[in-house]
Amino acid sequence: MDKIKIQFVLNGETRQVEVEPDLLLIDLLRERLGLTGTKVGCGEGDCGACTVLLNGKNVNSCLLLAARVNGCEVVTVEGLGSYDKLHPLQEAFIAEGAVQCGFCTPGMLLSAKSLLDVNARPTREEIARHIAGNLCRCTGYTKIINAIEKVACADRHCACSREAEEGR
Amino acid sequence: MKKRGVGMGCMWYGVGNTGLPNPAGAHVDILDDGTVLVLTGCADIGQGSDTALAQIAAEEIGVRYEDVRVVSADTGVTPDAGATSASRQTYISGNAVRSAARAAKQLILETAAEMLGVSQEEIIAGDRLLKVRAASGKSQAFTDCQSECRVGLGLDSGSDTREVSIAEVIAKCRMKGKLTLGHGWYNPDTTGLDAETGQGRPYATYAFATQVAEVEVDEDTGEVTVLRVVAAHDVGRAINPRNVEGQIEGGCAIGMGYALMEEIKLQEGNVLNCNFATYLLPTSLDVPEIYPLIVEDPEKTGPFGAKGVGEPALIPTAAAIANAVYDAVGVRITDLPITPDKILAKLKEKQNKGA
Repeated sequence: MDKIKIQFVLNGETRQVEVEPDLLLIDLLRERLGLTGTKVGCGEGDCGACTVLLNGKNVNSCLLLAARVNGCEVVTVEGLGSYDKLHPLQEAFIAEGAVQCGFCTPGMLLSAKSLLDVNARPTREEIARHIAGNLCRCTGYTKIINAIEKVACADRHCACSREAEEGR
Repeated sequence: MKKRGVGMGCMWYGVGNTGLPNPAGAHVDILDDGTVLVLTGCADIGQGSDTALAQIAAEEIGVRYEDVRVVSADTGVTPDAGATSASRQTYISGNAVRSAARAAKQLILETAAEMLGVSQEEIIAGDRLLKVRAASGKSQAFTDCQSECRVGLGLDSGSDTREVSIAEVIAKCRMKGKLTLGHGWYNPDTTGLDAETGQGRPYATYAFATQVAEVEVDEDTGEVTVLRVVAAHDVGRAINPRNVEGQIEGGCAIGMGYALMEEIKLQEGNVLNCNFATYLLPTSLDVPEIYPLIVEDPEKTGPFGAKGVGEPALIPTAAAIANAVYDAVGVRITDLPITPDKILAKLKEKQNKGA
């Protein structure tokens, strides 16, 4: 099978790779590029563990051919924060106890980011709806939603923080 | 028409393996800089046992939580702690770690007593310091504290000014060529069950819980929506309340799935629904509001009074939901999951009987 040459931006860095036409994005990320933060859960698009951001949108990387990301921007959990400086969502997940076994966490974080990037002040209902494609078997989702809400509230446009500032 | 109902479920659950020995071991090494290294076979699969065991070691020795490093579940180096199952690790491995920590601390106390010129019983430990207890009699003897599962050692009350840091004591130990290592193990006090009568002592301790569920049942579609679950769990003592809440919330979600959604369908030994599109797990949109209530009644044999909560968290949920369904529409479903078709069939049956 002829390989396809693709170029895309991965975690802020331009990458050029040659891929087989049937190579999945998840396998490109994990097996070729060594980014194992993205998890393979069901491999069928049901669980959301493999969620990455494609041009800012949360997608299942197990359902996407690698060749399709040519010319696109991809963010994985490795691009979210660094060891020295975690992303606010990562900080909040730790602080709120939103991580148990951790298998859903990378996907949850990216789904949360894709929501907050377009809606800085989501309601709990909107958060629950947005992460409904990311299954979690440990937490009952409560603390995950709490963590996302905490980051949303830390945004200076949020009514909660304005109230706090004004000492109400 | 949608109808609301409230139901309750209660449970008790034995912590540990039933009527069998199920010991756990641990090693504790207090290093030169005061770092505490804990080796335990206990596998943390997300429930937070590494955190709880670090807290237990820190509390027992008198260092801070961040001073403790836990190496867990590495069969190359860690002692056997049995399975992470039976809601047993906080209780059993917790006791093993506490016992190992106590053994290592004993070595420190011997040297500290010499340095401070007092007996070991007069020394209290906390926040990386060893202090001499005042003779006022206000605070209890150290051994009493241990037996009564007191976590707070009351450093502020009744200690005089003489103190040494744990790091200083360790330096002294090393000068004398003394390492500060401890090991410990714990096996819950159980007996086998009599083959004839079934009598015996299968568990050393039990967890208790009550959950209340509020549901809404659509009489036209048979659909059940769980609105709220209040879950009260006697955990003995919550070593880490946030982790305990997380266990309870997760358990309620699994219990809700068990009650309403999850069913392995078999045909001639083959699983028919072997993916998440056909075997349904609760999503973030399915789970109710969950209100965990931690009830603390310290267990005398538990580490600082702790028992277990992992499995208890999901045991009463399905019963509470089934009772709430009965309260809402007056039909009792006795096989899980409570699916819309089962509710509609029972409602029809009830209607026909009434007619």
